[in-house]
Order: sequence, then C-alpha cells, then structure tokens
Amino acid sequence: MTTTLPQIPLFDLRFDPEDLEAVAETLRSGWLSMGPRTAEFEQEFAAHLGCRHVLAVSSCTAALHLAYLAAGVGPGDEVIVPSYTFVATSAAARYCGARPVFADIVGQHDLSIDPDDVAAKLSERTKAVVAVHFAGYPAPVDRLERLCAEAGVALIEDAAHAPSASLGGRRLGTYGLAGAFSLFSNKVLSVGEGGMVATDDGEVAERVRLLRSHSMTSGTWDRHTKRTDTYDVAGLGYNYRLDEPRAALALARLPRLEREIELRRELTRRYRRALRDVPGIEVPYTDEAVETSTCYVMAVLVPAQARDAVREALLTEHAIQTSLFYPPTHLFSAYRDPATDLPETELASSREITIPLYPHMTEEEQDRVVQALKLEVPQ
Amino acid sequence: MSWKVPLTELTVPEEDVEAVMDCLRSGWLTMGPRTAAFEDAFADWLGTPFAVSVSSGTAGLHLALAALGIGPGDEVIVPGFTFVATAAAVRYVGGDPVLCDVTSAHEPLIDPDAVAALITERTKAVIAVHFLGYDAPILALRELCDAHGLALVEDVAQALGATVDPAGTKAGTVGDLGVFSFFAKAQLSVGEGGMVSTPREELADRVRLLRSHAMTSGTWDRHLGHAATYDVVDVGYNFRLDEARAAFALSRMSRLDADIEARREHARHYRRALRELDVAVPFDDEAVERASHFAFVVLTSDRSERDRLRAVLADDGVQTTWYPAVTQLSFYRGLQKVPKSEDVAARHFALPISASLGAGDRAFVVDSLRAALVATGRA
Repeated sequence: MTTTLPQIPLFDLRFDPEDLEAVAETLRSGWLSMGPRTAEFEQEFAAHLGCRHVLAVSSCTAALHLAYLAAGVGPGDEVIVPSYTFVATSAAARYCGARPVFADIVGQHDLSIDPDDVAAKLSERTKAVVAVHFAGYPAPVDRLERLCAEAGVALIEDAAHAPSASLGGRRLGTYGLAGAFSLFSNKVLSVGEGGMVATDDGEVAERVRLLRSHSMTSGTWDRHTKRTDTYDVAGLGYNYRLDEPRAALALARLPRLEREIELRRELTRRYRRALRDVPGIEVPYTDEAVETSTCYVMAVLVPAQARDAVREALLTEHAIQTSLFYPPTHLFSAYRDPATDLPETELASSREITIPLYPHMTEEEQDRVVQALKLEVPQ
Repeated sequence: MSWKVPLTELTVPEEDVEAVMDCLRSGWLTMGPRTAAFEDAFADWLGTPFAVSVSSGTAGLHLALAALGIGPGDEVIVPGFTFVATAAAVRYVGGDPVLCDVTSAHEPLIDPDAVAALITERTKAVIAVHFLGYDAPILALRELCDAHGLALVEDVAQALGATVDPAGTKAGTVGDLGVFSFFAKAQLSVGEGGMVSTPREELADRVRLLRSHAMTSGTWDRHLGHAATYDVVDVGYNFRLDEARAAFALSRMSRLDADIEARREHARHYRRALRELDVAVPFDDEAVERASHFAFVVLTSDRSERDRLRAVLADDGVQTTWYPAVTQLSFYRGLQKVPKSEDVAARHFALPISASLGAGDRAFVVDSLRAALVATGRA
C-alpha cells in the first residue's frame, strides 16, 4: 500500500442492537436446531414475497440444488444457465448429474440471461432454465416464463441478489417454479451462511422440505414437541438445514430490509449521476430499473485492456476495495468447453469492476470512489 | 406439550453468548480469523495435524469421501446401525454403500470380522462409526484396511472426545480422515456444523478446496487484497461454517472436557442404577470410560417391551428415542442383511443424557423407569 487513506471496503456489514439481542436470546433458549424461529422466519419471508411457501436452507447453493431436484433435474438432463453468475448456479446442475448449458447475456447494458439465446439453446434434454437477477435487476422472467411454459421446462430463479426486488409489481423469485435466495454475509439480507427456497407449488415445497433434512419424515423439533416418535427415509436427502440463531438473525433484520435497500438505491442513483458522463465508464441498466432493484452491488464497465490496472490502482493508490462480478463460469477450468461462445458475457466480464456499496456508505466515501475512477480510468 | 426431562438439554453460558455477540459486532461473518482459530484449537485438542471446519457432519462425510476420490462403481463398507448420513454420503459421491453388521447387541458397533468378509475388488474404503459415543474397534480396522489397501474414515459425529486406547488416543485420529458434528445434540453443539480432521495434508487441502466451490481463493483472501480473482478447478460445494458459529464453538471448547466428563458421570450413575433394576445395558465398564456418551442406551428383551416402557416413560414426561437400522429405512431396503443391527435397533432405547442434565432429573428418569418396569410386569 502506498496510501494512508482509510480503506473503503467492497461491502461492510453492520448489525443493530436488536439483531444481536435476537441471537443472544436464541442462544440462551438452548434450542439451536431448526424450530420455531426458523418456521417464523419462513412465514415472514413468504409474506414479504407474497408467495405460499418458503423453506430456509443452509445456503443459496443448497437452495439451487434442491430447486433443481424438485424440478426433476437428473442425470443426462441439461439446465440452461447464464455463465455470467456465481459458479453455484452451474455447480448445482452438476450435483444433480445434469449438464449446464450456457446462454449469453442480453448485452453490456443488461447483464441478465438473453431469452433469445435461451430459446436457441433449448433441446430435448433441457429440463430447466435458470434466470439470475444480477445485482437485483430483473432478468426478463416475464418472457422466460412464457418461453419455458411453451417448451414445457421449469423456470428457476436464482434470486440470490434479489430478496426484495420486483418486475411488473411482482416480486422476483415468484415467477419461476422456485426461487433461490441467499443469506450470505455480503448479501442484502445477510446472516453469514444461509438461503431460502420460495415456491407457490405445494409439491415442490414438500419435496424441498424432505430433501433439506435427509428425506426424514420427521425432525428433531417434531419429536421434541411430541408430534412424532420416529421417522422413515424414503430417498436420498441432505443436511441443508439452517439453524435457529441464523433464523433469528434473519428474522430480526427482515423488517429493516426495505429501508436498507432504499439507502442502497439512493447511493446507486448518486453513483449513476456522478458517473453518467465520465468518458471510458459505462454503467449498465437504466435509472428506472434502479427503482425496483435491490441494488446489491454496483457494477461499472471500463475498457477491458485497462480493467486490471484500474483495480490495482484503486486498491494501492486510493485504498478502495473492488471485486469482479463475475469471472464467467464457462472459462473456469472445471467448466471450460471450447464450443461455448458467449461474446457479450466475455466482453462484459473483461470490462466489469464492482465498486463499494453498502447502506451506510457516506457521500465522502462515495466521492472518493468516483474521483478515483475519474482519475484512473483512461478516457 | 413439553417434556419434564427432554432427551438433551443445552445450557449456553453468557461467555458463549458474548463470543457470538463480539463476532457479530465485528461485521465479518464469512470464514475468516475466528474459523481459523477454531480449526487450530480443535486440531490441537484432538491431537492431529489438520482440521477443516464444514457446515455439518454430513457435509464432512461427503467431502471426506470426495477427497479420497471415491466415485461411481466404488464400494464403501458402512455399519448397518448408524445415522442415515453415513450411507447417504457414499451415495453423494456416486458410490455404493455396503452394509456391514455390528458385533452384537452388547457391542452394537461395526464388526471387523464382518468387514473382512465384505471386502471385494471394488471396495475402496470403510467408514467406522463410533456410534452413541462409543469407540468402534478402530485399531483392528486400521490393520485390516492397511492389509487390503483401503482408506479408513472415522464417523465421529456422535463421539467427539471418545478415546480408543489406554494412551488416550482420540477417536478421529486413527483413520485417514475423521468427521465430527456440532449438531445441537452433540457434545460440542453450535446448531449446525462439522469438522473434518486428517493427518494427511493433501486430504486437508482437498477438503478445504471442495468446501468452498473449489475456488482457488476465498472472500477473506480477497478482502485482505491477497487475491484479485480466482479459478474454479472442480465441482465444489458451499459447505462452509461461518464466523459466528466458529466463535461459538471456540468458546464452548473451553468446557468441552468437563462437559464430556459430566456425561460420563451420568452414564456411570445410570449403569449402577439399572444394574439394580436388572435392566441390560450395552458395552462394558472399560468402554464407558473411553466413551464420550452422546446417548445412553438401554436394551430390552424385544420390541414390544421397548415400546411399552417408552410409553410409560413418555407419560411421566421423560423423552426417549431409538435409532433405526439403515435397512429399516425404505431408501436402503434390499441392501445387505444386517440381522444383529436390526435386532439391536428393535430392542433398544435411549434415556435423557447431556452435560446439563441435573442429578434430580436423572433420578426422576430412573424412578420413572423403575415404575415402568413394575407397570409392564417386568419387576
């Protein structure tokens, strides 16, 4: 480091005293495995989304795995996914024995999966299509919903970034057969590790409920509360349970979610105004889209050949932490396929820099980021 | 609705609560310094070079088998009397679980002679389960596995702190890998969590890689500026523990030996009392001193006596449980015959035991059992 400026982190998580108290109270209760707090969180989050069922799980990766299984994805099947996403979207297909087939993104202005490319990649083996709501901006799930219905395949929403975003007045995560959400530490609603599956489909909910706890027909809490005495295991299940302290934390934070997202939106509007006419910088999505997004992260696009040098300069000269959302999945060693050609994905991922954004970010911090970008990005 | 004496009770002292609060206040929830500190402390306590924390014992078994390279077509020998996760883990990696019987109802643990009889050309590993907190004949199994070139995995989910010889060697340090659980009912409970231990660095590296999506760098590394981006080199998982649970577990470790001794003292008391009542209990007195007492098990003459005694205890508000043999679960029906496992499964039940069990409650359980024996015509 050649600077003594205070570091501006990529994200910065802060809890309120009531969050801490909720966890402390749960710990003192002595009941730690899935129980009443998990059930209450599931009900509250379902009400928040306006959907019938929410099942809390151990991570969004687990949520995707169970959503795909509930959609019937199995060995030999294909799942159409964006490459421009975290690797879990594709890995979950591999867990099921299926093959991820990568579709390109719409373009540099919209980093979500392109329905036209999805249509082109549907095959007899396609079992599901996965839409990722990048940074909380809606993928075109309205179009994908129709497309999937016509093709007879399931639409799954990877809503890891979007626990309170919407499209056409409808919450993201409620368009598909199932929506997968994340409670990971850098997320909009974070508890450390955790996730949820949302669905209106009773059979999907029942299947996810079984699969998240070893396909056991009853749980520890059921036996504690004398609902049941023993259990059967009728299939291959997993331990994808959340526990009570994390459920209590999520439950305590949920009432503040909208307010914190509004703070993110305000910062995003301010970033967009400041960066609008800066030569060399392109900011994806539109001002209107911000209004229904969760604004999980702030992605900016710079010339590809300058990207790594800009990040290095931001870190070493300006003490600003950045990240990459995302290195494309189809270029990872474990997923490389020479036949995959995704020009828009490769271009965007070679240009993208994720700059700091968190609800309590100050205007001074934000100005420092903007000034640093203006200084370091070649025109 | 609630039990007068539940199967397990958990007391969480304020110092544990404070450790979690301290972590939450720090705002860093993803695997970081607290997870590393917990792993180091755990490895020291266990007396083994490497310990890698994971999201559950199930996840630990999955990664242990994956790290050993076990896959489709491979057989893994597991006992017929264990929790379903032991067999499920073999399925996760595409292998075939081969069920092995236990030695007897008096010693309901994996029988090395039965293991030897099941070894085929396809056998790749044996999972020895230290069930109920009692040490399986791990030294004999180590010899057997070495003679046949097989890997040995120890499922220590129920036996954290058990020893396997007079020198005090801990269960989990003899096999190629040891797998532990921090489930709410375990000796070291945090809700959901687990650990994989190994003396072999290459296996530790592999488990570490696979627990976080086979990514070549983690969020904490990137937070520290150690890594700008990452590759994904395999199909990995999200089996991470988070910082809050690591902090909680680390705090609880300071009382772990005392907690286990408290469980052992309950077991000694129960055994003395039941001897007077002429009730059979498995295991001999030396085994009791080595065990860490996850469960306290009683043997009855048959299933109907077991069910009648349990019903009377339940009426008194005493919660008991029993563990099915793997072959009694529909998904695993039709595998190898394990008559001794099924016999012990049919005629055992477990009395309340935990470090927090009070002497008064313990006496109540014994009185209730005495009355139950009278009521059912046994005494």
